[in-house]
Amino acid sequence: MRSASKAAALIALCAAGASFAGCNRLDVNSPGIRGIAYVRVDSVMPHDPLYSQLSRIDDAIAMVGLQAAGPRVPHTAAEVAQEDARLRAEIAAAQQRTQRIVTQKQQDYGNRARAAIAKALAAAGVRGSNVAALMGQVSTQQSRAAQMQAGRDYMAYQQSVVQESNSTAGSLVRQLQSEANEKLQAKAMQEQQTETDLSLRLSQQDAARRLSIQTRLSMLALDDATRRQLQGQLNEINEQESAATSAQHATDQRDFAAYRAQVLAQTNAAIRAQLSQIQDETQAKLVGRRNAVGAQLRSLAPAPAASISPATQAQIRTIALQFQTQYQDDVQNVLAEFAETRDALIVEDAMLHGADATANGAASQETQILQQQRQALYQQIYGHIQSEAVRLAKEKGFNVVFSGFTAAAGGYDMTNDLIHDIESEHE
Amino acid sequence: MKIRFLPTLLVAALLTTAIAPAATANDLTDVGYLDQTALASLPAFVSVNRQLAAYKAQLDRQFATAMRAARTPADRQRVAAQFQQQYSNEQRTLAGPAFMRAQLAIASVASSKNLSVVVDKRIIIYGGQDITQQVLHVLQSSQSILPLGTAPPPSEIGFVDQSALENSPQVKAASDQMAAFAEQQRRLYAAQFAHAASDAQKQQIAAAYTAAMTNKQNEVLKPLLDHVQDVTGQVARRKGLILIIDHADILYGGTDITTDVQNALSK
Repeated sequence: MRSASKAAALIALCAAGASFAGCNRLDVNSPGIRGIAYVRVDSVMPHDPLYSQLSRIDDAIAMVGLQAAGPRVPHTAAEVAQEDARLRAEIAAAQQRTQRIVTQKQQDYGNRARAAIAKALAAAGVRGSNVAALMGQVSTQQSRAAQMQAGRDYMAYQQSVVQESNSTAGSLVRQLQSEANEKLQAKAMQEQQTETDLSLRLSQQDAARRLSIQTRLSMLALDDATRRQLQGQLNEINEQESAATSAQHATDQRDFAAYRAQVLAQTNAAIRAQLSQIQDETQAKLVGRRNAVGAQLRSLAPAPAASISPATQAQIRTIALQFQTQYQDDVQNVLAEFAETRDALIVEDAMLHGADATANGAASQETQILQQQRQALYQQIYGHIQSEAVRLAKEKGFNVVFSGFTAAAGGYDMTNDLIHDIESEHE
Repeated sequence: MKIRFLPTLLVAALLTTAIAPAATANDLTDVGYLDQTALASLPAFVSVNRQLAAYKAQLDRQFATAMRAARTPADRQRVAAQFQQQYSNEQRTLAGPAFMRAQLAIASVASSKNLSVVVDKRIIIYGGQDITQQVLHVLQSSQSILPLGTAPPPSEIGFVDQSALENSPQVKAASDQMAAFAEQQRRLYAAQFAHAASDAQKQQIAAAYTAAMTNKQNEVLKPLLDHVQDVTGQVARRKGLILIIDHADILYGGTDITTDVQNALSK
């Protein structure tokens, strides 16, 4: 009876003692700890079963970085800026050239019209007056001024229309590229999830077998041959898991490359189609304005002096109108040529920036996708570590556990406990 | 017999309950935390962030151009520092008033809950008091928030301004050395990478590059950072502090030991 009583007391005291400090327990309330613990998350990370995937993403980021640093990137920012300046200079030169041609043509057609009118007047027997006087000097000057003003207005209109279409094209290209980027990111995240799921499934699937081998390996009385054999089996499991995840990764990479090529081809086709449509709309606007200006200028043809016979006046009007029409057509062609050159240069500029985005920006786009994948995976690993840390903290009775700190002078370092827990979960 | 054991078992049970791990009077329970991302969704911060994002987009373009023009690692560092400064100035200008109001709200809630320190949620993995909702409530009210008349109570959680420590000549020299090495290795491995015949070879080159960088980091930066950490730990022990965190993660209270650590490092 007494011994039974003693045993009960011993059990009871042991239970109490176990709660306090005994049985390898830690006093989380001691003055040096005071309910505070901390975790070196970066040290725990490599022990998570998903860490190998994180390393693979890091390697992929390094690969993209090396690829971008290599000599195959077609345009640097300086080259793009240089090319930009060249295109702008070409546009300005084309504009000046066009203005010179228009002015020259104005003079040529004016001279030819005056010569034709003089000839007609001479044929009609009109003598002693110059053509200008007969045509009404003031009226001619007004007509010329109106023509020049109309030309300037048209150029300004053309400039604003082209600028507007350029800006529309720019935002459209950006939008299409951003949509393509989103599609690629979604695909990358989906593949990442597949690889993560596979990695975890394999790790759990082999857990029992791995644990059994580990248990046998931990036995001291084991001959070398058996130990080697068991170690070999363990290595085989690891290699099989690694091979399976690598194969999945390789398949995913191939799929991603094909998908990426498809998305980029679709995006480029959409960009080209949209740019072509914008160009057509711009051209239609400019042609419409040119026709309106032409009609307006034709109505401003100068009236001949009243001293000339009505028949000669009619003939002179016809000659003036004929030259004016020819001049307008000719100038329209020159302006159309300029518009075409300018539009081509603008498209070239847009394509240059587009090419820059796909070449120079491809590296940053790819890095961005990889960084997002890395972030998602990191969060997943962190979440796993956190849930283990919470379980451990509750079990040991800590009040607060820090995952970010620069130095510790007290508290309890939970890192090794967590590493042990995470490793034993998968072994 | 069972009845005779009962008192002993009851005493043991009581002892177990009394001594089981739980917060005691000596435990540090006055640690609060705040989810700063929740604050970012408030209209005042959304507006500031939008303006800052627009400014950053503009600055990024200038930065990329300036970085391309920079010839040496030192040039690049100078450019990076200059742009970072520009961005920080703008951030201060735009976010200053909203930030000040948030600081007052955090202080007000922390004081009402007798917290000695409030940190960013990211660095707490378990426990602590979440004051996010209370701070949001104060910030969303139209009333003005008055500054507290008293300083936060002393805390056994300390902090150091890591950026100030990183400005020490030794750390700067090590960073410069690391930057020069990184640039040299990048060129070296990029050239090899360009001539790689297969994906496997590319992977090998990338792995070798990463390993070279890690080794150099361990050789140049790690000893220095370990030393800074040791010295910080010594200062913390001298001052009776338990844990030291980065100034950037402290939102309220805490004991600043930056100057002490700087002095100890300069000895």
